[in-house]
Amino acid sequence: MPSPRHLSAAVFCLALSSAPALANPISITDQAGLDVTLDGPANRIVTIPIPAASMITAIDGGPDRLSGMHPLSKSALMDGILGAFFPDMASIPSDVVGNGFMPNVEAVLALNPDLVFQWGHLGGDVINPLRNAGLTVATVTYGTEDLARGWIEMMGKATGETQKAQRMLDWRDSTLADIRATMGDLPQGARPRVLYFNRFLSEMKVSGPGTYNDFYIGLAGGRNPAAVEGAPAWQVVNAEQLMAWDPEVILLNGFEPDLSPADVYGNPLLAGLSAVKSKRVYQIPLGGYRWDPPNQESPLMWTWLSMVLHPEKGAWPLRKNIVEAYAWLYGQTPTEDQIDGILRLAANSGASGYDTFARTAKP
Amino acid sequence: MRASAPPLIGGLRLPAVRSLVWAALFLAPPVLGLLSLGVGRYPLPLAEVLTALGQGLGISESAPELASRVVLLIRLPRVLEALVAGAGLAIAGAALQGVFRNPLVGPQLIGVSSGAAFGGALALFLSAGLSTLLGATFLFGLLALVIVFLFSRVDGRAPVLMLVLSGVVVGAFFSALVSLVTYLADPNDTLPAIVYWLMGSFATASYPKLALLLAVTVPGVALLVALRFRINVLSLGDEEARALGIQVEPTRWLVLLAVTAITASGVAVAGIVGWVGLVVPHIARMLVGPDHKALLPASALAGAAYMVLVDDLARTATTQELPLGVLTALVGAPLFGLLLRRAQAKGWST
Repeated sequence: MPSPRHLSAAVFCLALSSAPALANPISITDQAGLDVTLDGPANRIVTIPIPAASMITAIDGGPDRLSGMHPLSKSALMDGILGAFFPDMASIPSDVVGNGFMPNVEAVLALNPDLVFQWGHLGGDVINPLRNAGLTVATVTYGTEDLARGWIEMMGKATGETQKAQRMLDWRDSTLADIRATMGDLPQGARPRVLYFNRFLSEMKVSGPGTYNDFYIGLAGGRNPAAVEGAPAWQVVNAEQLMAWDPEVILLNGFEPDLSPADVYGNPLLAGLSAVKSKRVYQIPLGGYRWDPPNQESPLMWTWLSMVLHPEKGAWPLRKNIVEAYAWLYGQTPTEDQIDGILRLAANSGASGYDTFARTAKP
Repeated sequence: MRASAPPLIGGLRLPAVRSLVWAALFLAPPVLGLLSLGVGRYPLPLAEVLTALGQGLGISESAPELASRVVLLIRLPRVLEALVAGAGLAIAGAALQGVFRNPLVGPQLIGVSSGAAFGGALALFLSAGLSTLLGATFLFGLLALVIVFLFSRVDGRAPVLMLVLSGVVVGAFFSALVSLVTYLADPNDTLPAIVYWLMGSFATASYPKLALLLAVTVPGVALLVALRFRINVLSLGDEEARALGIQVEPTRWLVLLAVTAITASGVAVAGIVGWVGLVVPHIARMLVGPDHKALLPASALAGAAYMVLVDDLARTATTQELPLGVLTALVGAPLFGLLLRRAQAKGWST
């Protein structure tokens, strides 16, 4: 039986014979701090973290370099706007990983990728089998704006699309500066209490301090009553605790397929909450990826939330921003119906102030 | 042997002590239930709690809207669910321990809990509603029981050792199926629902759930109480029971059916809450002795009180809900270990 060392040597020779020599090697540092060297721009990429597939699609302006991905990445893409933009994605294999992010090494090898992205926070068991098979692996971690910027930088470098990556970073910078100029010096009293529900149907789980949701609630001029110093990042709470917090705005996650604001309005236990009485329950939009976690379209999320929390300040033309951003991100123009779908106009119809996102609204 | 005069305990005659114990047992569930209505994460003055309760019963003018919502829609169904489920799980445990003549027996040990857990996980996996959830927990609990029944029969009888060992085998099998379902579940959708349900919680308490729980638990408990004399005889051992004219097998399976129904309804509304059926009957046995005529009602009363207390802790200790199954195990396991050591020399150790 060949040892892993022999196997990896064989794969290495294979890689050498198929690649045009080490002309312009690319060196990146992954988010575990390891140096990863590529022979040249990665053209065959396998992504195992679920949000990585849409990030690569954005960096590259299309799915051409995507050789394989997580089955849930694929279902999210195919159900979303990117599946409509790039219907050929349907043929990209997604059998490379099982649940728990354990890679199917042979299936990955069969795709002959020159770079595999894998989670870095789940321990060595999900990484080492790939490296032992001679594959080039870069690990990523998740959850903060800095880490998301790290993704963009690293993926831009690995694909040679550094200019595109820089533009994505600049866009984040300018949007952050723009929103901070408007919301930055809001006093506590002018900030509505906002709760983000990471889960609502199975249990009521809200995001606490240090989460990405907490970051953008603060950025967009709100405050998160669950973000008490020392509290856990994710908190399963009961209806009474919600009443004690009395949120003025409720944000619903885009992960639970059957969830909509109607579930909150229809729950008799929550009927007394300010957010319910004033109809300020909103489901977070779903663009090239769900807007709740860090993603390539986060600046649009920040703008959307600023408009939701502070309609009196909301002078941003979000629909126009989406069209402009999609033009250079994906090279595509969404239809008016598609923009309605991204902003979840149907689910959020009737919510206070949501008319501002309708296609007839004046920016 | 009978003493001519009852012995003195702490200066009181035994019958007096006994009536005190019973008075405490009967008073504990309603008193704790009422007190529990007064505690929660939302600060409410006691007066408003009482007004809201009075409004719910139609005997007082209407309370502030918020107070009545907290008390009548959130706390009351939850406290009642905890009382009923606690009583059911405890009496089911006491009956099981009697028919198996083994203090270590609980619904877990004969595989019923694992079967019910699989049924529930499967129902959640398929995004089914509450009645399907109950149906599936009951069906698979029963299926586990039937498999145990078939496995454990030797020469037309089911020796206790074979029953318990078959229970372990069947339990392991269904636990593996639960793992399989959680492995296959969608991490965005059904997986969190299954994981949360498996840890146990009354956080989703509602009146429809309470009605469903009552509809199954009350007849189940009534059946067990009606069978209390036979359970007494069964607990003497099969030979003695037969000698006394009891049909051992049918009676045993009737008890097991009631236990399965009670366990399944508890599991359907609150998820997997372990250790109640194991620990509470022990405490009850220390209070009223091993006679099932007294032990079964005492277990039900103590179980109701115990469950409502643990649930109070789960919903008020921190801003977060604490998982009930974890709390009952953290409280139950050490307590049970202690009881085992203390009781080693007497009664049940044969």
